[in-house]
Amino acid sequence: MGFLERSDAYWKFAGQCAQCGHCTKACDSLTEAGMTLGEIAKALIDHDREAKDADDLRMRIAMDGSLTQAVRGCFFCTSCKNTCFAHNDVCDLIYNARVDFQNLGLIPRQDWSSVLVDEEWDIFKAYRAIHGIGYTDLTRHVETEDHEAETDFDVMFFPGCSLAAYGPELTREIFETFEELGVKATMLDSCCGSSLRSAGFFDRAEVLCDRNVEEIIQSGAKQLVCVCPGCANDMGKAVKRAGVEIETISLAKFLLAHGFEPKHPVPTGQLCISKSCQDRDGSYLADTCKLLGVDASVPTIFHGCCGAGGAVSAFQPDRQAQQADSKLSFASDGATVVTMCPTCTYTYAYRLMNAPRDITNKHYTELLFDSQFDWDMVFYQLNSMWYGEYGAWLAEVFA
Amino acid sequence: MTMVDPGNQTVAILGYGTAGVNAAIALRRAGFDGVIRVFSDTDILPYSPILTSYYAGGLKTYEECFPWSAEELAELSLEVVANSPVVELDPEAHVVRTAEGEFPYTKCVIATGATPVPVGFPPVEGDEAYKPIVLRTMENAERLKTAIEDPLCKRVLVSGASMVALKTLEACLYHGIECTLVGVNPHVLDMNALPEAAERFEKGLVEKGVTLRLGNRIASVKRIDDADGFQGRKLEVTFANGDVDTFDEISVSHGMKSNIEFVKEGSLEIDRALVVDDFMRTSNPDVYAAGDVAQGTELISGQKRIVGIWKNAALQGACAGRAIAAELAGEEPPADCALEGSIATNTIVVKGTLFISAGTMELSEGRWTEVRESDDMTVVYVFEDAGDGQRRLVGFNITCDHDDEGSVAFDTGAMLVMQIERGLRER
Repeated sequence: MGFLERSDAYWKFAGQCAQCGHCTKACDSLTEAGMTLGEIAKALIDHDREAKDADDLRMRIAMDGSLTQAVRGCFFCTSCKNTCFAHNDVCDLIYNARVDFQNLGLIPRQDWSSVLVDEEWDIFKAYRAIHGIGYTDLTRHVETEDHEAETDFDVMFFPGCSLAAYGPELTREIFETFEELGVKATMLDSCCGSSLRSAGFFDRAEVLCDRNVEEIIQSGAKQLVCVCPGCANDMGKAVKRAGVEIETISLAKFLLAHGFEPKHPVPTGQLCISKSCQDRDGSYLADTCKLLGVDASVPTIFHGCCGAGGAVSAFQPDRQAQQADSKLSFASDGATVVTMCPTCTYTYAYRLMNAPRDITNKHYTELLFDSQFDWDMVFYQLNSMWYGEYGAWLAEVFA
Repeated sequence: MTMVDPGNQTVAILGYGTAGVNAAIALRRAGFDGVIRVFSDTDILPYSPILTSYYAGGLKTYEECFPWSAEELAELSLEVVANSPVVELDPEAHVVRTAEGEFPYTKCVIATGATPVPVGFPPVEGDEAYKPIVLRTMENAERLKTAIEDPLCKRVLVSGASMVALKTLEACLYHGIECTLVGVNPHVLDMNALPEAAERFEKGLVEKGVTLRLGNRIASVKRIDDADGFQGRKLEVTFANGDVDTFDEISVSHGMKSNIEFVKEGSLEIDRALVVDDFMRTSNPDVYAAGDVAQGTELISGQKRIVGIWKNAALQGACAGRAIAAELAGEEPPADCALEGSIATNTIVVKGTLFISAGTMELSEGRWTEVRESDDMTVVYVFEDAGDGQRRLVGFNITCDHDDEGSVAFDTGAMLVMQIERGLRER
């Protein structure tokens, strides 16, 4: 016993699982694996106990297709936790398992080489660099050739990777709104590290978040305004770790508190709100509905992951599309699907590009502001950059 | 016979269920390498009481009711004293007494669970020895299973409208049994449900062919012959309203008591159960309690209450184990192992009708309910005045006409539990 660094987490879970089996039925991946959450923990413990050394452990786990499916097929959507009578925390279990998988070399490098967001280059930074998307004029807490670093901001705006990379005009329009509302803002165009967590680099993700918090502290901002619930969760934890008085709130909540008036009426027809699976307690959903001026009981709300979570697409590419389809199936033709997390918007846009339907796919900020995502352009640029003058460089960097 | 300690430190765990196993896991994971002596009144492995009704209903095999294998438990190096109910715990002498002798301990965890008590069930005329079916242990489940698998068993009366009663009912329905449910309150799930949610659940039961006799109770029971003349085959029940009906079996689920009768009188603070602090310590610093025998803090009321659910037993057991390991190492229990309290959460499915509840249903001053109905779901929210024009969610019920795992109903339940927890943090 003792090759798995995270075995305490597995023992805790093994103790708390009643083996009722409801979690298995709540999740396609667990169904495919034929395992309960408790059985995942127990399988890890069993392999650890029986392994002669770390190599043997790696072989045992690699040969255990069910366990690999269960650990790598997790979207972190918490459908299993929600169905669990004891609400056992699946994320705690799977994140720890991913760390051990990574340490044991069980996650191939090509599955995560482009999303190491704490390194010099990742897919978002590369996309922005190649297509000239930058925000040095908005990151006012950082000294540049054009401005001094300031330290008396009210708000740090955290758009997150997807919005900052794929929606530069929307990002800028949101930023300008802070000024219009009389709030002195700066921007942090960094990442919350969720892709690092999914790849099993838990500690690196925490370091990245802690570094972000240091920047926020230096800026003097008292509020961290996040667009994506996932960013808010991870950054909120980092703020708590740092023990500083910085409030982490959603953009929707911020806009509500400052009396923001949407620039458009809400579209007529069926409105389907895709509740972010990172919005665990539904508070972002409530604020988003309020901001859009819709009664939370009126629109169709679908829960669960859009398909982008947990880097499952690197393990089972088809499941991202299947998951997106299962969520989009709640929307009838002509409906507007409203997302809360820009990565969900991206995922649905990608799916709708490949399997077109008469559905309008909008991030909620697109319903509030004039600027819009141009997904045709984004996907063209994402695709073409691998073949243009930067193709060889990208292939080398993300090999 | 007195068992001599082989080492300096022995932890006695009374009870071999969820709380006891989690205490043992936590002790070992925290590095305790002394003796862990577990006292059990049976010789079977720890089972999941949640699954007993599934077993009786034929949804789980006997083997599937045991969450931990013998090999997994062996890794904890436990000394299990099987078939040995504790006769007395003497905290002053640091001794556990069983029929086999005296067992000294350094620290002790009481995790003996609870026993159903068929409160108010009258003696059966013509069959004084008859005891109604109850559901808690695997033995209870075996009896229920045997009864409802008997081809001659056609009709069962379930007395009580608690979660356990409804789980019993579900097991019966899976065997095609015609069920009647009698309860003294006007609605089912009286401790857990508000009327709007209960009514939807009752509708679901009636649609499944269950006869409800709510606001009623069993007045008397008589053993009678059946229509074919088989002697004493039936139980004739007279209800409080004068109605009479006959059944093949009766199950009772309206009473539960903590198993603490072995605690030496006056040695520990007892209210309804053993009163514990945030580290599960009883009034004696060397005796801990976890699970259905422990009255820890219920977070919404702030009072010491029994929160008799699986997860709570697991968490309390783990908390006790970690705290004991620290103390035996000469340290204070780590702050992060303290269990500041818990809230009651319950989920039950009866053949497709789902009910989820959490928090409180006590509508005291400053609390009110709001109801949201949709085609397939009723959600009842219990709010309290949080001051400054704000409200705080302190409880909810969800009844849904289907129980699809991963559905909006389950997600909503989890979301609302987190909203209650967030409200408590902000309070």
